[in-house]
Amino acid sequence: MGTDPSPDPWEVARRWPVEQRVEIQSPDGSVWTGRVMPLHHLTGDRVLLLKLDSGYNVGLRIDPGTRFRLLPAEPRDERTGEPVARGPTPPPSGPAVALLTTGGTIASRVDYATGGVRPVRTAAEIMAFYPKLEQDGPVRIVPVVDRLSENITPDDWVRIAHEVVRAFGDGARGVVVAHGTDTLGYTAAALGFLLVDLPGPVVLVGAQRSPDRPSSDGPENLAAAVSVARRAPLGEVVVLMHADLSAHRFALHRGTRVRKMHSTRRDAFQSRNLPPLGYWTEGTLDLSGPVRPPRPGPPRVDGTLDAGAGGLLWFYPGLSAERAAAACAGLRGVIFAGTGLGHVAEIHLPWIRTAIAQGVVVGMTTQCLEGRVDPYVYATGRDLVGAGVLFLEDLLPETAYVKLLWALGQSRDPDEVRRLLATDRCGDLDGRRRPEGAR
Amino acid sequence: MKVGLEIHQQLAPRKLHCRCPVELTETVQGTVERRLRVASGEEMGIDPAAEFQAARESVYRYEWGPSNCLVDLDEEPPTELDPDALDVALTMALLLHARPVDEIEVMRKIVVDGSNTSGFQRTSLIAVGGYVEVEGRRIALQSICLEEDAARKVAETEGIVTYRLDRLGVPLIEISTQPEMESGEEARRVAEEIGALLRATERVRRGIGTIREDLNVSIEGGCRVEIKGAQELRLLPEYVEREAARQKMLLAVRESLRGRGATAPRGPPADLTDTLQGVATGPIGQALRRHGQVLGLRLPGYAGLLRSLPGTTERLGRELADQARACGLNGLLHSDELPNPEIGEDRLRPLREQLGVGGADAFVLVAGTDRRLLLRALEAVARRATAALEGVPGETRDPLPDGRSRYSRPIPGRFRMYPETDIPPIRIDPGRLERLRSTLPERPADRRARLTRQYGLPAEIAGQLVVSGQAGLLETLVAQGRSAALVARFLTQDLPAATAAGDAAFDLSAERMDELLRACEAGEFAKEGLPKILAALKAQGASPDVRQAIAEAGFTGLSMEELSRLAEALVDRNADLVRQRGAGAFSPLMGDLMREVRGRRDGREIAEALRKALRDRAPGAPTP
Repeated sequence: MGTDPSPDPWEVARRWPVEQRVEIQSPDGSVWTGRVMPLHHLTGDRVLLLKLDSGYNVGLRIDPGTRFRLLPAEPRDERTGEPVARGPTPPPSGPAVALLTTGGTIASRVDYATGGVRPVRTAAEIMAFYPKLEQDGPVRIVPVVDRLSENITPDDWVRIAHEVVRAFGDGARGVVVAHGTDTLGYTAAALGFLLVDLPGPVVLVGAQRSPDRPSSDGPENLAAAVSVARRAPLGEVVVLMHADLSAHRFALHRGTRVRKMHSTRRDAFQSRNLPPLGYWTEGTLDLSGPVRPPRPGPPRVDGTLDAGAGGLLWFYPGLSAERAAAACAGLRGVIFAGTGLGHVAEIHLPWIRTAIAQGVVVGMTTQCLEGRVDPYVYATGRDLVGAGVLFLEDLLPETAYVKLLWALGQSRDPDEVRRLLATDRCGDLDGRRRPEGAR
Repeated sequence: MKVGLEIHQQLAPRKLHCRCPVELTETVQGTVERRLRVASGEEMGIDPAAEFQAARESVYRYEWGPSNCLVDLDEEPPTELDPDALDVALTMALLLHARPVDEIEVMRKIVVDGSNTSGFQRTSLIAVGGYVEVEGRRIALQSICLEEDAARKVAETEGIVTYRLDRLGVPLIEISTQPEMESGEEARRVAEEIGALLRATERVRRGIGTIREDLNVSIEGGCRVEIKGAQELRLLPEYVEREAARQKMLLAVRESLRGRGATAPRGPPADLTDTLQGVATGPIGQALRRHGQVLGLRLPGYAGLLRSLPGTTERLGRELADQARACGLNGLLHSDELPNPEIGEDRLRPLREQLGVGGADAFVLVAGTDRRLLLRALEAVARRATAALEGVPGETRDPLPDGRSRYSRPIPGRFRMYPETDIPPIRIDPGRLERLRSTLPERPADRRARLTRQYGLPAEIAGQLVVSGQAGLLETLVAQGRSAALVARFLTQDLPAATAAGDAAFDLSAERMDELLRACEAGEFAKEGLPKILAALKAQGASPDVRQAIAEAGFTGLSMEELSRLAEALVDRNADLVRQRGAGAFSPLMGDLMREVRGRRDGREIAEALRKALRDRAPGAPTP
């Protein structure tokens, strides 16, 4: 075998460029030929990742005594290249749909050379990725932010809302917002409160299975969202995702009523306390729910959010009054996710009374997620309402928190904030719990 | 001739990347429907296998049941490699002198036929190199991998392929040899040896379909052809020899075609529907009755080469028909089969005229109601006929139960593999290998020898027990006090016979076997009664009861006293015979007594009881 250039071959091997072809002879005599792959962040100490000619990646320990030889590069496999450019197709005509991207992995390409997965972000790449996106008309891609959804902030919600208004101003028939699923529900609620006089649908969409697999739900969700944005007679913010585990039925949920109820399933998004507004099934739209029709427009962003002034507090047995009070220090408003009908332990009453006396708005929702709160069934509830806690019907805790930020952005007067919180704005409070349930 | 083997063996007791059981089931609790798209904007058009699949855009319906969880439905990320399955794979690596990798990276291998809900198969390279030794010859190995088994196809109708997910994710250990074997018989012996090693780990699944072999065969001047998914070891030599004969035939056909200056078929197919109006029977008659069409294609210079050549049953005509079948037709008709009762000489003449067929030319006919399908089939036939000018095309073939094989699809291009990003790499630490090395199962040859020595079993029986993977069971039962000879007889004769009879599966736990054999040793019934009791046990279905089966089989216990009484009564009833024949009466009376009590006592004891009765009841008569 060739050179033995260093007392510690690992010091040499770790500096090899990705794709370098090498032949390695381990101290036990075994010989390995392949291309160097980028190190995985979980790869062990002194382990080199190699793609063998069979296509398998393996990790090899580079111990002292390992010998190696650099090999010339092989001609690259043609099939691992970039997406094939499509011939010029006539630009689709008709009203456009705007596709706002917010980051996350709406699409990812697998790079077979390195084995890595990299997100697809530019408009051209997205079009190459989803060639059928424009089959019913033009789609205009507008990158807004570029973040995984856990890193999306209330300021981003406001930016997205303004981009939605701009897209309608530019003539879009409907708007699709592609978004990571973790906080998609929050963003949907925020857009619901911020946007008024919508002339068409705003459809939020995501993917539960990563797009680097042939079975991803992303392409189907996106195609359905674009179709719904183009056609649905809706003037509100909705979330569209798989209705069940099959790939041909998609549910439309009101943005203020929807929640991610599963960490992995395709049908993770479910409406709470209101049935889905409708379903998109194999090209057919069935809007059977209490939908809000399009408005003549023009749409606008009504107000803004006061992101630093509100909080969300989950009550649990053992939560001390001091800790809870400290968590709410400096806030103008706080939403409790209480137990059952909307309860917290009675030890919290003193600090809650003090806070309310100082002008803090305290709202109550239920950890049950389904059903409404009610202060009059038990003494604790009566004490809380007596202290000035606002019971927020069947608002989801997260939706109530988002609504609080919006209300705090509208007014500095606690009474006005309380009035806004308790008033239906966009179908978020309709006062009815239907026997058929929501899902 | 060069033959290579890939052995796929299912492992127990749970799936590779989740915690589900590996049992196959008829219970379907729900279905989901999906489509798959070729991953991530990659263009698959260049990969012939993927292109073949993509040509049929399908909806996949998945049936799920008690052996499934969200991982199987591609609704949840996978768990790490099952550590027990990995131990088996590493154990095999050590037994086969292979070199384990230092760190395992789980890969995704793109599979777009719907047999994996994710659109890929998870597979990991565990070790490379090594060898297996069979009759003094070392066959080098390529690799040992651990992968997920695919879902099993249960139905295929217009545009919808239905898979059941019970088998999806069952661990498969894949052992690939170099193409170094020189005959089908050698391939069989190598497969048998590797199979025995696998069973020696006592962690493999048993039963039909739990071990599958892929063969790759090439002869001098031929091409690598893969026969995928053979399940019967005894047919391996047949598959190999037939494939070699087929390749030889293709080479001979090539020589003839070249000698004649034959050329690739060209030009559009001819529409022969009008010419053949009036044909009432056969596939053509059937198509015409349904207002279908008949298309024909001229094969210039192919006359006489579509039928079997002297000395072989293989023929090019069948290869062409396989192509039509792969496109969804029932087959085709070619000129070497004509005239036949449907198309006589009188019809042939206008047919040949319309096709422009001369004396040296052949032609094929396809019939059906879907013109696009017919055109696609003829295109495939033309491609295959053209390939005959080059010799043996590389392809993947399905094994058939009669030892033949049939074209299934083109050889896949190099697999598209990329890392399974949901699973971190797995370090093989030296301590793990040490632990496995110190507890390696006994090699089959050593175990055969020891069973013979330790339990006094005939070498052949010991060998049978080792190959079938039941040696461990024998030792367990013997350790519980059962007689080795009885257990060996039970495992190699009675149990296989009972299992083979009828279609129902039959699985008896070690505890029940012990209970059954203990009763036999206690004299409740003789070993000749085992088949009858096993039949009763099998009829009981799930959770059979040994006591009940013994009773159902009529062995409610026969004490020596009862046996003596029965023998004496028999002698009394036949007093005349005993008087006349003396000792000569033993044989006929023994026959009668055996009929009465067979299986309830040992044969020797029955004979002894009869002798005693003869002595006691006819003291004058000499006894045998």
